[in-house]
Amino acid sequence: MKPAPFDYCRPSTVTEALEALSSAESSRVLAGGQSLVPAMNFRLTDVSLLVDINRIEGLASVDCDPGGVTVGAAATQTRVLEHEGAAGVVGGLRAALRHVGHLQIRNRGTVCGSLAHADPAAELPALAVASGAMLAVSGPDGERRVDAADFFIGPFWTALEDGELITEVRFPAPPPGSVTIVDEISRRAGDFAVAGMVAIVEADGGAVRSASLVGFGLGGVPTRLATAEAAIRGWAADHPADTIAEAVMADTADAFDDIHATSWYRREAVAALTVRAARRALVAEEAA
Amino acid sequence: MSLDIDSHIRHSTRHIGRSVPRREDQGPLTGRGRYVADIKIVGMLEVVFVRSIEAHARIVSIDTSEALAVEGVQAVFTAADLADVKTFPDYIPYIGPVKQRPLAEDRVRYVGAPYAAVVAVDRYIAEDAAALVAAGTTYEPLPTVADLDQALAPGAPTLHDHWESNYSFDVATHKPEVDHAFEQADHTFSETYVSQRQTGLPMETRGVVADITDGTLTVWSSTQSPHMVRSTVALMLDMPEPQVRVIHPTIGGGFGTKTHIYPEDIVVPWIARLLDQPARWIEDRMENLVASVHAREQRHDVEVAYDDDGTIRGVRCASTLDMGSGEIFMPGTAPVFVTNACVTGGYDFPNMQARTIGVVTNKTPSGAYRGFGIPEGAFVMERIIDRVARLTGTDRADLRLRMLLQPGQTPYVMHGGGRLDSGSHTESFEQGLEMTQPALERALARYADDPDVRVGVGYCNYVEPTSPSYHLTTGHWGGGDAATVRVDPDGSVRVAAGLSSFGQGAETVAAQLAADALGVSPENVTVVLGDTERAPYGLGSWGSRGAMMLTGSVLLASERLMDKARAIAAHMLEAAEADIVLTDGAFHVAGSDQPSVSWAEVGTAAWIRYVDLPDGMEPGLETSGYFHPENLQHQLDDTGKINAAASWSNGAHIGVVSVRVSTGEVRIEDYIVVHDCGTVINPALVEGQVHGGVAQGIAGAMYEHFQYDPDTANPRFASFMDYLVPTCAEVPRMEVDHFESPAPEQPLGVKGCGEGGTVGPPAVVAGAVSDALSEWGVDLTECPVTPVAVRAAIRSAEAAGAGAGS
Repeated sequence: MKPAPFDYCRPSTVTEALEALSSAESSRVLAGGQSLVPAMNFRLTDVSLLVDINRIEGLASVDCDPGGVTVGAAATQTRVLEHEGAAGVVGGLRAALRHVGHLQIRNRGTVCGSLAHADPAAELPALAVASGAMLAVSGPDGERRVDAADFFIGPFWTALEDGELITEVRFPAPPPGSVTIVDEISRRAGDFAVAGMVAIVEADGGAVRSASLVGFGLGGVPTRLATAEAAIRGWAADHPADTIAEAVMADTADAFDDIHATSWYRREAVAALTVRAARRALVAEEAA
Repeated sequence: MSLDIDSHIRHSTRHIGRSVPRREDQGPLTGRGRYVADIKIVGMLEVVFVRSIEAHARIVSIDTSEALAVEGVQAVFTAADLADVKTFPDYIPYIGPVKQRPLAEDRVRYVGAPYAAVVAVDRYIAEDAAALVAAGTTYEPLPTVADLDQALAPGAPTLHDHWESNYSFDVATHKPEVDHAFEQADHTFSETYVSQRQTGLPMETRGVVADITDGTLTVWSSTQSPHMVRSTVALMLDMPEPQVRVIHPTIGGGFGTKTHIYPEDIVVPWIARLLDQPARWIEDRMENLVASVHAREQRHDVEVAYDDDGTIRGVRCASTLDMGSGEIFMPGTAPVFVTNACVTGGYDFPNMQARTIGVVTNKTPSGAYRGFGIPEGAFVMERIIDRVARLTGTDRADLRLRMLLQPGQTPYVMHGGGRLDSGSHTESFEQGLEMTQPALERALARYADDPDVRVGVGYCNYVEPTSPSYHLTTGHWGGGDAATVRVDPDGSVRVAAGLSSFGQGAETVAAQLAADALGVSPENVTVVLGDTERAPYGLGSWGSRGAMMLTGSVLLASERLMDKARAIAAHMLEAAEADIVLTDGAFHVAGSDQPSVSWAEVGTAAWIRYVDLPDGMEPGLETSGYFHPENLQHQLDDTGKINAAASWSNGAHIGVVSVRVSTGEVRIEDYIVVHDCGTVINPALVEGQVHGGVAQGIAGAMYEHFQYDPDTANPRFASFMDYLVPTCAEVPRMEVDHFESPAPEQPLGVKGCGEGGTVGPPAVVAGAVSDALSEWGVDLTECPVTPVAVRAAIRSAEAAGAGAGS
């Protein structure tokens, strides 16, 4: 479990980082390294140059305004979790980050790193898609913005091109009065989810008005539960839950099998989580 | 405690029976433990083993030229280079010999089998070169067998050419009374119970450092049994035993996996000797998961005869162990025999007919893991009882109380010859039931308003054989242990024992015992373990034997030492030996206020001032004791039975669980343990053993499972992302209570408690979840009880029209 030989550099500006990334065949960005470094130690990934972005001025910032939260590429998950204003503006950040790994992992791991890594079972990509997050990406050809919905292409595969770096991500504030719920089934506390979902639910008068529902741990990318989003409109706690569950099953037909769970289990579990989220949102609305 | 020497010692303080603080924790807890990986020797080379990526293949060729060209690589060895190393012995006559070579010769039988060793100046370079050796290896793949069914199918490929099939052994007993029970019983059923593949998983992986100086080969090994490593290294490298010294420094756990002697234990010393340069190998975690033994994979095909009133009249149980490739020394065969020996637990149930089978497959060799077959058997018996209770409408706890051994029923000889010397089988369960009531009420109240949650209770009443014979396991070693006790000229006590210690607290126990036996403070006792040069021959720590063997041998040696010390003191005090007593560390004449002599004065007389010794007394103050339990059998008797354990602990485990029906999530709400390990030497150590054991039992009940691809026999695990070890977040609160039924044939009444904790959880969790889901008729027959397994059971019941959903 020792990595193959590689080079390492630690630029102090984004421009230098981009130059470095373009200078080598298989260069990779090192932010928190919580997934990349183990993969290198397992010799599962071929890295010739590591570009450490942790000393780039201003890249670890977390900025908060009433419209949303902007998280820099080197900002750790703990920094976001502990940020005074962020949770108040985007409650989903705290809800999601609490499920991410353990304290030690969050102390090193970054929010943008999790998006770039694009593990299909990770919480943050699903939150990004559910909340309509926007990524700022810099590369040899300049800067571009990518909608989270277009960013995730497949398992561990994103719209990032060779030589590109996420510089920041902005999570917009959810609709006023909505409730964001991040719920998952994991085999142990802190594990990647066997199946999970992010629900941003607006309720009104004891019924669901609208919901943004995105599952994770189901397919190669965060799974928008579009049928369920339609089925859940107008749902109230005393309505039967079957229609929601059936809609989720329709949205998740290509959920995968692995050693931790079967496809059918993942679909059933997300259906159960969706109903649970709707009930919780209605309880929260009633309490508010 | 009843000791002869008690009549001569008056203690103001007793140490046995008290939670004397552990003396072995300072190093590991402050980062100053000295593990094998911390040993640095100038010029030490790094060894990396190249391991098979094929589950079953012939090795056609190995091209090492590219690896040898890497700067910093000193050598690459393959099996052909090791011609002067002997083959691992096949000591056990009734199992198929595997003729294991230290490196695979021309054929590999599991992913992870070592077939080459790279020696380089550091681990990084060695791994670079190992990757080149791997790339330079040409395999000719052979058909694989990934499980028991494949291995036993007609025409299945065989792993070992000199075998006719993949059976390693198949031992059956026949009991006419069981046939009779089946003829008489009202009903019968058949079922198959399955225990999944797991491992002991110490936090510290294995590791070996070897160095040869002035003809003496010193081996630092992360092993549980240094003397057995010494004997085997000496044998296989053809060296006199006194020229091999094996030391285990600080060890980060073993759990049975380090009782085996592995290829690396032989190859690394061989390299150090050949190159005349120190060498080391440290197992990394990825290797550990395929290169250290697995355990627990057993299938139990059971037939049960029972009556309408719930009486179980007879059971036939064929237990089949998946041995992996079988290429491990000692062989991993014994746990399944223990399974069958212990299957009936604390129940008065002689009508058991057992068949015990071992089969090889293309997987990592299986071997020892804390529990050593007991949990697998307990699972079978408890699931049978639950099934019969349900089929006959009998209360599950009542049926157990009807079956358990009653007070006064010991000594009791079990169906296979195990002799339960004493115990509290009914008492422990009754106490557990009482403790369960409030826990159950708490859980029911907690979920009263949640229609998605069901609550259930599970039971397990087990027996734990302790201080077993090692003859059935190794075909070679027996089952005793030695200790040496010395009092130095300054009065300090030194205890050296063949036991080893890696977290259990053996040093603390040895000091407690020596302190009480010699009337000194534990602080005055130095304990030496785990070094073949400084401690007498012993078999190490495994099989819940530490407490019994250590106290037995230290006590014997101490009694002999006291006899001599009293004779010296009597001479110095000019009194009769019979009148000498020891009070608070000083010898004096009973009933007199004459001056006393201290241990230092006695020690000085013995070693230095011979003028103070009685005429003709041989100088010196060092004695040895070799403890071998009298009632321990090493071989089957004429009727095919054996009592292979010196004593038997027992316990009752009860768990209260909640199950979320919609997702299949299980939470252990409360876990109750009432156990009996005979005389308790140190309550805190015993409690620690119980907690740790239960945690590992829960690992098997709910989490850990080595899965293999059925088509290729490739592991479907590479890291802790795939092999799920429970953390503190998954281990529930436990309530622990004790009974103390002293072992009648051990001088202190000590039994042992290292493994019992692991036994209950699989049976308890499966029983409790089945109970919680009884409205669906769920009856779990295997572990781990995962969310998927729970949902699958509910779905299949619903498909059959059962349960709340129907």
